[in-house]
Amino acid sequence: MRIRNAIFVGALLAALPFSAGVSAQTAASAPASQATKPGLMANGIPDLSGIWDPDFHGPEGLRINTWDSSDPFAKNPDKAPMTPWAAEKFKSVRPPFGSLATFDNTNDPVQRFCDPPGVPRIYMYPWEMTFVPTAKIVYILYEYTKVWRAVYMDRDHPKDPDSSWMGDSVGKYEGDTFVIDTIGFNDKTWLDQTGHPHSDALHVIERIRRINHDQLEINVTIDDPKAYTKTFSATKLYRFTDAPMGETLCAYSEMKQFQENVVDKTQTPPTK
Amino acid sequence: MKRKLFVVLAVVGSLALFSGAALAHHGVAGYDLNKTVTLHGTVTKFDWSNPHVVVYLDAKNEAGEMQHWTIEFAAPVHMVRAGWGKSSMKTGDDIVIDTHPSRNGAPIGITSTITFILKTVVNGQPLPTRSE
Repeated sequence: MRIRNAIFVGALLAALPFSAGVSAQTAASAPASQATKPGLMANGIPDLSGIWDPDFHGPEGLRINTWDSSDPFAKNPDKAPMTPWAAEKFKSVRPPFGSLATFDNTNDPVQRFCDPPGVPRIYMYPWEMTFVPTAKIVYILYEYTKVWRAVYMDRDHPKDPDSSWMGDSVGKYEGDTFVIDTIGFNDKTWLDQTGHPHSDALHVIERIRRINHDQLEINVTIDDPKAYTKTFSATKLYRFTDAPMGETLCAYSEMKQFQENVVDKTQTPPTK
Repeated sequence: MKRKLFVVLAVVGSLALFSGAALAHHGVAGYDLNKTVTLHGTVTKFDWSNPHVVVYLDAKNEAGEMQHWTIEFAAPVHMVRAGWGKSSMKTGDDIVIDTHPSRNGAPIGITSTITFILKTVVNGQPLPTRSE
């Protein structure tokens, strides 16, 4: 734990000069002589600087519940292109969202046990995120549960990565797009808010692009041949915000208290 | 008894578009978002904590019976960004509040998610709201 914290603090410190420089450039337009291609910083990498908030206040279409763009609101979550293995696993799911939603009796591992949401489900929550680029690693900090990822820019995946909640991520820049390739997941998380399962063969590709100063586009592709008969993808939008990231931890004691004091009571028979 | 407590039921339509992702960590299937109840009562506890801010209050129903209500809000960071804080109310405050009640009739309601904050007036002072 001490080593992990040291890495995290180191990443933040390393990012300070980057953040300051970007802020200065944002506050006042750069001189023409320093102009770079749209969406790129002076060093040629995509400008993803800033704090990004999921756009939950825009059109209904941005509040997607699945990564299947043919059923974004999970009206027919059982129709996802699941293999028999995944379909069988999906039968035991009691999700909190979508047409199969249950309120008091969900077995959502995040809601029930404060499990890490994993990738890509972390993007389904309405909390902020930010990027911290360093020389060889881009850290992504998520406000929800204060979880973070390391995206390695200088190596490929290990041949046989250890399984983990957030996977092993490697990245590269393609023009104005930050491309992240992640494998090495355990199979304990859900892909989305409706409980679609995945296997430990899950392969996630994220393509992240700042489409203008105030909007960030995150396209997620799911590739898991053990669980799905085809790849599928969806795109979410984030918006630039000045609101600093705050504390949204998932403390089991608080979750349990909320479950008992609020959620469970919605199933108490009304007294007459 | 200076408190005048009453409950007014009002049906508010056009809220059916609320679906799954309106809340931070759980859905809203337990609440009737097509119905709004206005409560006038006294705060018994204001719990400013994750995963959701909760206010407990005593209010009488139409029959004059005292009920102990539990009202859910969005997560603390989202309430802060909407202009609320841990001092927005305290035990003993007079409160008038709109809420979507639970479907089973229990005195549980939801007044705020990431996308909306219904009317909440504490000691005569309205707190920030947000329309869908």
